[in-house]
Amino acid sequence: MTDTLVRATGVARRYGDVEALAPTDFELAGGETVALVGPNGAGKSTLLAIVAGALEPTGGTVDVHARVGWVPQRPAHYGRLSARENLELFARLEGVADPPAEATRLLERFALPTEARPSADLSVGNRQRLNVALSLLGDPRVLLLDEPTAALDPGQRRRVWEVVNDLRAGGGAVCFATQNVEEIPEHADRVLVLQDGRVVFSGPSSGWASVADEVFG
Amino acid sequence: MRAVGIVLRKDLRVLRRSPLLLGALLVYPIVIALLVGLTAGYASSKPRVAFVDEEHLPAVVAVGGHKFHLQTVIDEVAKQVTLVRMSPAEARRELASGKVVATVTVPKGFLGNLETMSQSPSLILRTGSGGLAPRVTQQMQSLVYQLNQKLQAGYIAANLEFVRLILHGGPGTFVGRHFDLLGLDGTQRELAKLPPSKRVRVIQHFVAVARVGLAQTGAALRATANPIALTQPKTKGRTWVLSAQVQAYGIALTVTFLALLLAAGAAAAEKDEGTIGRLRRGLVSFGQLVWAKAALASVVGLVLGAAIAVVFGIVVEIGGVTGGEPWGRLPLLFVGVALVGAVVGAVGVLLGALAREARSASLLAVLVVLPVIFLGLVPRGAVGAAYWISLFLPFVHAVRWFAAALYDTDPWRTIGIETLWLVGIGLAFGLLARLGLRRLAA
Repeated sequence: MTDTLVRATGVARRYGDVEALAPTDFELAGGETVALVGPNGAGKSTLLAIVAGALEPTGGTVDVHARVGWVPQRPAHYGRLSARENLELFARLEGVADPPAEATRLLERFALPTEARPSADLSVGNRQRLNVALSLLGDPRVLLLDEPTAALDPGQRRRVWEVVNDLRAGGGAVCFATQNVEEIPEHADRVLVLQDGRVVFSGPSSGWASVADEVFG
Repeated sequence: MRAVGIVLRKDLRVLRRSPLLLGALLVYPIVIALLVGLTAGYASSKPRVAFVDEEHLPAVVAVGGHKFHLQTVIDEVAKQVTLVRMSPAEARRELASGKVVATVTVPKGFLGNLETMSQSPSLILRTGSGGLAPRVTQQMQSLVYQLNQKLQAGYIAANLEFVRLILHGGPGTFVGRHFDLLGLDGTQRELAKLPPSKRVRVIQHFVAVARVGLAQTGAALRATANPIALTQPKTKGRTWVLSAQVQAYGIALTVTFLALLLAAGAAAAEKDEGTIGRLRRGLVSFGQLVWAKAALASVVGLVLGAAIAVVFGIVVEIGGVTGGEPWGRLPLLFVGVALVGAVVGAVGVLLGALAREARSASLLAVLVVLPVIFLGLVPRGAVGAAYWISLFLPFVHAVRWFAAALYDTDPWRTIGIETLWLVGIGLAFGLLARLGLRRLAA
């Protein structure tokens, strides 16, 4: 029996008259990887942000039974601070026991620059890697990634998928939003397809191709 | 509080790495404070007043045998206003348009009355209906009072000259008529030549008493002319620039400016950097974020406020200004500066949340801070509504807090009242800022 780590029930988000996400149910169980697919503006980032606790839903509830790491679509860190300083700062806020050691571990794991250069001066790829590294502070069991490989070279993409696979192998759960449908068969167990803020498909990754053409035109 | 401390340290580190921004944030409010101070000082101390001379006053006027350089006397006593000579028509036009706040007219016949002392000459004062009119009236009353003081000496001397004539006799002039007076001395001499009789003795007694009495006239005349004299020993008093009020206003203005801009920018930057979403995931609550930004404004405001207070004090000490700088009160002042920085910081966070991005937040803060400050500068009697609005903003309470902390003999009542105001305003704006941040994170 798989344990449910995250359960969202009827979560919705409205911006005035605009419905960004219609009431949606969503679950993540330990040991599974779910791909979130849909065209731009479908509500993928909104759903991930709500489940991550970064965005307040206008309806529904989210029950979280494990520590959650979140990689937002746009890198979210302080540009005037170095990669190390960002990692140490958020490690302190996360309550990590030894923030400098945790920062060193993640800098090495993601081959991030260790010098005091402001993170705003890093390459796009490095900033995205820092974004991913920040999500791993505190050893989360659930990882929510919003298009994590969009700005990465093949080597760095491989490194991110290694992180995902390690987490899944350890009984954790991963949900990633992507526009790169080639990643789905290899990395996802399940697919959730969103269109105009509504779930139009939810099922095994092998079966989602039937709606792909309809969704992406 | 741990999360607040972590975010505060982060913001201070970010600020330290932005030397240009930091420099601008520190220098800009000081420059604004100086400019506002100079403008306000000039405007309040030297209103422009039209001087209409219908009499064509000569440079020198003789009153009671004393010669007065009239223009010099007017210039000397009119230091509180700028007197500008104008024709009657020009003065009427400028008063109507508000270019001058008042007109002072020397009417025809003024000089004749002044020189002959037959009746009091009058100056005619006309003022506009603006907020400065009562102040200008007071200043003109002061000018006339001081002119009278100067002229009084001449009048008394002239009157005493007549007393001297009555006492000792001799040639004299009154309203252009010349005469030769016998005087009491001459009367006594003439009485001495008469054969003694009861009537002569009575007249001699009267003359003797009158001579003694009139000999005291000088002191009595001066005493009745000035029942109460105001003497002003020469001391090295504080100039307007070094006054207690300017010190309080200067610190309040710079701290308000700095705290508002800094907190607004720092709050909006969390959105710009995309970090507000990361922080709100149970790491830092919106309330803690408001506290952190208010604390940032408080800390940086305290550094700037302390620097200004110390520099001001050094200038006062070097200048040997009367009263000196109340160094012992500075710790109390610093408590107020920290409080004001935090309260204004809460207002700044609200602005930053409303603006949603740092550049707009800075612009909005600049647009808001000037009215906030100027509302606090409007005197109560000038525009009542401005006064009442300013009560619900922190600036006016900051000024009162700082002035009391620095110079009141017993500051605690004022400080207590103003602290309650500031805490109330801070809590209200803090709650609004918290709601604003929630909206910012959406």
